[in-house]
Amino acid sequence: MQAVTAHPCSKDQTQIWADVLAQAVTGELIGALNYTTLAELYEDAAERAEALEHAQGERGHAASFTAAGRALGVQVVVNLEAQYWKRIRSIFLSRAQAGDLIGCILAQEVMLESFAVASYSVVAEAAPGELGATFARIAGEEGEHVAHAIELLQAERARDPGAFDARVHQMHEEIMTALAELIARDDPGGHCGLCQGSCVKGSLPAAGISLSEIRGASLQRYLKTLDEIGVPGESSLVWVAQLPV
Amino acid sequence: MPPIDFALIGHIESWNRAAAVISLLRGADRPPVSLEDVREIIPWIPPRVASQVTARSSQGRQVSGVYIDSFIPPDRLDSRFLRENLARVRAAAACAIKQGARVVTLGGFSSILLEGKTDLLPSHSETAFTTGNTLTVALIVKGMERALALAGRDLGASNVLIVGASGDVGSGCARWLAPKVKRLFLSARNPDRLRRFASEFLPLGSRVTADADLKQLIEKSDVVICAASMPAPQLLLDALPPGSIVCDAGYPKNVSPDFVPRDGAIFYGGLGQASAGIQLDPDLLGIMYPYSLSNVAHGCLLEGIVLAMEKRFEPFSQGRGLITPQRVENIWQNAQAHGIGLPPLFNADGLVEEDMRCLGPEVAP
Repeated sequence: MQAVTAHPCSKDQTQIWADVLAQAVTGELIGALNYTTLAELYEDAAERAEALEHAQGERGHAASFTAAGRALGVQVVVNLEAQYWKRIRSIFLSRAQAGDLIGCILAQEVMLESFAVASYSVVAEAAPGELGATFARIAGEEGEHVAHAIELLQAERARDPGAFDARVHQMHEEIMTALAELIARDDPGGHCGLCQGSCVKGSLPAAGISLSEIRGASLQRYLKTLDEIGVPGESSLVWVAQLPV
Repeated sequence: MPPIDFALIGHIESWNRAAAVISLLRGADRPPVSLEDVREIIPWIPPRVASQVTARSSQGRQVSGVYIDSFIPPDRLDSRFLRENLARVRAAAACAIKQGARVVTLGGFSSILLEGKTDLLPSHSETAFTTGNTLTVALIVKGMERALALAGRDLGASNVLIVGASGDVGSGCARWLAPKVKRLFLSARNPDRLRRFASEFLPLGSRVTADADLKQLIEKSDVVICAASMPAPQLLLDALPPGSIVCDAGYPKNVSPDFVPRDGAIFYGGLGQASAGIQLDPDLLGIMYPYSLSNVAHGCLLEGIVLAMEKRFEPFSQGRGLITPQRVENIWQNAQAHGIGLPPLFNADGLVEEDMRCLGPEVAP
């Protein structure tokens, strides 16, 4: 965890950053839980250790974001029961209980991490001073998690491309639908459980953040990751076209 | 990945068509996406295979390939976005190579962006790139011959104006037409490039005239071929003599939808029809070509298919204004041998062959 220095923000902007940080911290803690669960699925000791290391990394990211909030003078809300994150964790757990290691890797290291890398990168551009640097640094570290998964998933796909693509599609339908709803223009499921007061999405431009850019960049990063794994572009194109907007 | 015969690189011409593509991919059971959302999403989609393509030759042979959309946003088809668009074309080319395509055609704006510099593309010993422009030229000039024949006019008595004459397609049309028409007028926005190109025709004397100022040439012409690269349809050819014939071969279209030739007719050029059929899965063809005719596609895309049918996996059209009348006839014969030729003349309103017949042999002075 690095020290974060204070920087000037208006009261409204501070509240926006508090809500953005609440999503980031909660997402990181869900990630930490997912990596801990993932570790239990690995038979290989080295992979298990690496998953636990990733879990520790996610906790570190959460701590960094919380410190960034403190520097802004806000207490960052954490709510692991927040509806979208709870849903994502629940999907992940159901795959883990079924012993679906690949499904879990797809959910955490491809879908959630692609989303994190892209959205943090967009937010980093808008965030002032050290806060921006924190988002940028963590985006870079999350990118390493995505890279870790790609090689393993390429090999898995080579064994049975049809079955692999079907599994990606299944995980996409569950995880990416939840993420798409989380960053949809409106909240289809009502209050997300993290924003203090009304939904922050409409206020993001006041902090220089474009929700549209977050949506687009997340989609692009996800598609490029699937391309690298070898999922046919025409399949992933149809899948993303079918997401809620 | 086993090799495929061809890849067609293209992009969506308008936002409405982009919305139609997204709707098709979403399926009828999902709520439609607003145009606002489509405008927001499309620029972020990396180039990728959008459809599997199969095409049949009239000789019975079937070739298979892919349609790769570069997802250049329809409102970014101009030089301000050159770097971004080139990156998209390069990524689309890399995708074609990854697919194992033996010949790749650079449709629409893709070849214009490259200006013949195919060395800017990723290279692969088993993949050849063609602009597809030679077949486009063939379809334009053969379409023009047909339009004139329907009107009972003779190419040799026609005063033909080419807009975008110094481009790859325009220059190919000019070389093919120059020895056959009464007078040839050449227009292009870049005067230096136009002057250099026009010097090719010095032996023909005053029969060929070049002027970057389009207005100076319009009223002397009775046939116009529009082959300029423009981000949107904007040409108004109001000064054309009544009874003129206009071939809009631009991509996107050049001629403003507000323009109707006085007592004349306009048809879309550079498009061909595969009589034995082309299938796209998902079927984007009806969205890309929302006309009353089936199996219609741009000549540039069809050139890749013709080369695949001929097993000529070679960079047939390389851009840089190298299209000769001999090459035009060569690809035209190859295309016809596989049942690929001119569709009945049409425009956005439907078939126009009857309109051409009604024009009659005389153009008003």
